Amino acid sequence: MSDSLRSDAVQKAWSWHAADDPIATTSDDPVVRVEPFSSGLSAALRRAPRIKVRPIRLVEERSRVVSMMLASPSLRVTSVRFAAAADAPVIRPLPSRDGAKPSFPADRSCSRRRTRLRVPRDTVKLEDRLFYMLQPPLESWMAGLALEVPFEPFAYQLEGIAFLYPRLAAILADEMGLGKTMQAITAIRLLLHAGEIRRVLLLCPKPLVGNWRREFGLWAPEIPLDIIEGNRARRGWQWRHDTMPVKIANYELLHRDDDLLTSAEMHVDLVVLDESQRIKNRSSRTARVAQKIPRTRSWALTGTPVENSAEDLVGIFEFLAPGHLSSQMKPRQMGRLAGDYVLRRTKDQVLSQLPPKLYRDADLELSPEQRESYRLAEDEGVLRLTHMGEAATIHHVLELILRLKQICNFDPATGHSAKLDRLCADLEEVAQSRQKAIVFSQWVETLKTLSRRLARFAPLEYHGKVSHRERSRVLREFEHDPNRSVLLMSYGTGSVGLNLQFASYVFLFDRWWNPAVEDQAINRAHRIGVTGPVTVTRFLSLATIEERIDQILTEKRELFETILSGTPGPRNLGLNRDEIFGLFQLRTPQTPNHRAA
Amino acid sequence: MDHSAESTSGSIGFLTVIRHARHGLFGGYLVLNRAGRPLEFHCTAPVKPSRAQEILYGPTLEPYLYGEQIGSTLIRQANGEPLFLCTDVAPALEVAKHVDFPVVLVDTRTNDTPEGPTSVSNDAAEPDSAVIRRLDEAHGSPPALAWFRIGPNRLGMIARRETDRGSFEERLGKVAAQLDLSEPFERIREAIEEAQRGRHG
Repeated sequence: MSDSLRSDAVQKAWSWHAADDPIATTSDDPVVRVEPFSSGLSAALRRAPRIKVRPIRLVEERSRVVSMMLASPSLRVTSVRFAAAADAPVIRPLPSRDGAKPSFPADRSCSRRRTRLRVPRDTVKLEDRLFYMLQPPLESWMAGLALEVPFEPFAYQLEGIAFLYPRLAAILADEMGLGKTMQAITAIRLLLHAGEIRRVLLLCPKPLVGNWRREFGLWAPEIPLDIIEGNRARRGWQWRHDTMPVKIANYELLHRDDDLLTSAEMHVDLVVLDESQRIKNRSSRTARVAQKIPRTRSWALTGTPVENSAEDLVGIFEFLAPGHLSSQMKPRQMGRLAGDYVLRRTKDQVLSQLPPKLYRDADLELSPEQRESYRLAEDEGVLRLTHMGEAATIHHVLELILRLKQICNFDPATGHSAKLDRLCADLEEVAQSRQKAIVFSQWVETLKTLSRRLARFAPLEYHGKVSHRERSRVLREFEHDPNRSVLLMSYGTGSVGLNLQFASYVFLFDRWWNPAVEDQAINRAHRIGVTGPVTVTRFLSLATIEERIDQILTEKRELFETILSGTPGPRNLGLNRDEIFGLFQLRTPQTPNHRAA
Repeated sequence: MDHSAESTSGSIGFLTVIRHARHGLFGGYLVLNRAGRPLEFHCTAPVKPSRAQEILYGPTLEPYLYGEQIGSTLIRQANGEPLFLCTDVAPALEVAKHVDFPVVLVDTRTNDTPEGPTSVSNDAAEPDSAVIRRLDEAHGSPPALAWFRIGPNRLGMIARRETDRGSFEERLGKVAAQLDLSEPFERIREAIEEAQRGRHG
């Protein structure tokens, strides 16, 4: 704005104020002379502008891409294919028979109880481990095969079958009466049906061959059996021909037919040794032949895998898995190594529903006549042994012991017997209550004496002097005749394999060296099927050799319990040579050591 | 031991997937004959989805992993086709899209449960706060199942494939009344663990 213009404006403003406001004011002259000066701006406005250009890219040349791979790499898969089990079996279930027992209950296949095979720890190949792990529970397996069973097995019996089935080497060491026979037969049956085995050899003591035949008929009626018997020509034909999948033979044939049994073409899939304590002495001929039988699987059945010492178990393992155990091992180490091979259960552990076994120790004073005879015999015998000095042998001591034990039973001069008096009183009670009783002794002569003296009870006899044919009749009569309530039985013939669960009373008239044998005898009566308690009366003459032996043996139970930890063993083990000499405070002569009993 | 392969005709397939907190998913496929004895077993090495898969597959991840990736892979390894396939994990039903035989879900709960579920929940459901709902949710929701009983077994089948049911019942025949179809899954789980132990040492 020029100065002249500004003056005009100021002047106008003043005029406006004068018109509105009557108060007179003085004013200066606002006229200012304006003269432009040369700044050069006008010339710049006339000059052409200069323009600078800066490019800006609106589109990126290349998009940024983040790639994520969603397709997964191919998976690593472990695959196992198993043999055609269903195509292979050599055995087929029998068609239903009239009056046949029902097959394993089908609804069990859907029950919550599922018994699966116990895979052995020494199964190394994954393929083999998976094969056993993937087998169905026994309940549904047996139901699926429609296998006939006389009654539903107990849970522990199925566990036993699940233990045996996958094992190449096993000891089933259940206490007597728990059904080792049934468990072995059912495991064999399943293996045959599965086609995993085709040739089985079962070895047992001669008196038990018939028992095995009966049990197979009961538990596996569809399996044909071949009982090896007759002259050598006939046996040779039986050994060589595979007409039946299961052969049953007694131990004595191991000696007679060892050349046939140990030949390479004899190879069997499974050898089962019943009462396998028969091979505990590994250098015995029986043990050596058994070890040489060509085979794939080896099972041993025994209630007493350790009967006298840990050496017994080593002997059985020489058959099962040679070299796995040695005599130098400590019991605890032996127990650890044997653990996966041995299954042992006692009645207390698994049969809470089994009626109790009641022990009564009849500790008796000898009659005066017996005491006098006993004193004379002992004094004379000890004197004789003392005079013999180093010449005294274990046999001399054993003779004295047997003599004294017989006097504990009966006075040789008068026939007096404190034990018999007590037994008569007890048997009166048994007869009146219409129960059955078994009386055990180690001597046939004692049993015969008892038979005469107990005539009013019409006792039956079962011992080594009774023929095999007669024995079956005796057992039938004892079971079914209400007037025959007493059975006189020797430990040797009656301690294994018999089912006498209808007897409620057992009397041990004299004591065996080894209470494991006594247990076997007692368990003839106290076993599955027993309906009431079994009362066991153990006679023991006080202040005699019987009491001294009992004290020593009682202390030896711990060894069994250490090796087979967690399971109570037989009450004790055998006596060694020093212990036997020590019974009469005699020093053991310096001769090679032998196990005595 | 001779473990040569045999035909799987007349066999039943059992597929399961187990989840391990550290290693991921393990799949197992067991083929049994009608007596319940094993013919084949296949199991996978562990499967662990990537983060990208977790994000992009969203709720369809499990059906993809269980059914397509694990299930299909295992079934392809087998020698032949089973009569039908059982699974005890719902997402594995997805495998039905890839096979020509019926696939059923076995309710492995005790038989005395009065009524089972009417639909199947995703067994690997995340906490609610972590669930992202998609607009096309139909893809991620578990399929509706039709439940029915055969013998002691309570079985579910994808409703839209229920036409398979007749075929399934026909194939299972009399066997169904005797078989406990939930039991073999125990065997598979044990075998998977054993195989992994074998693999690692």
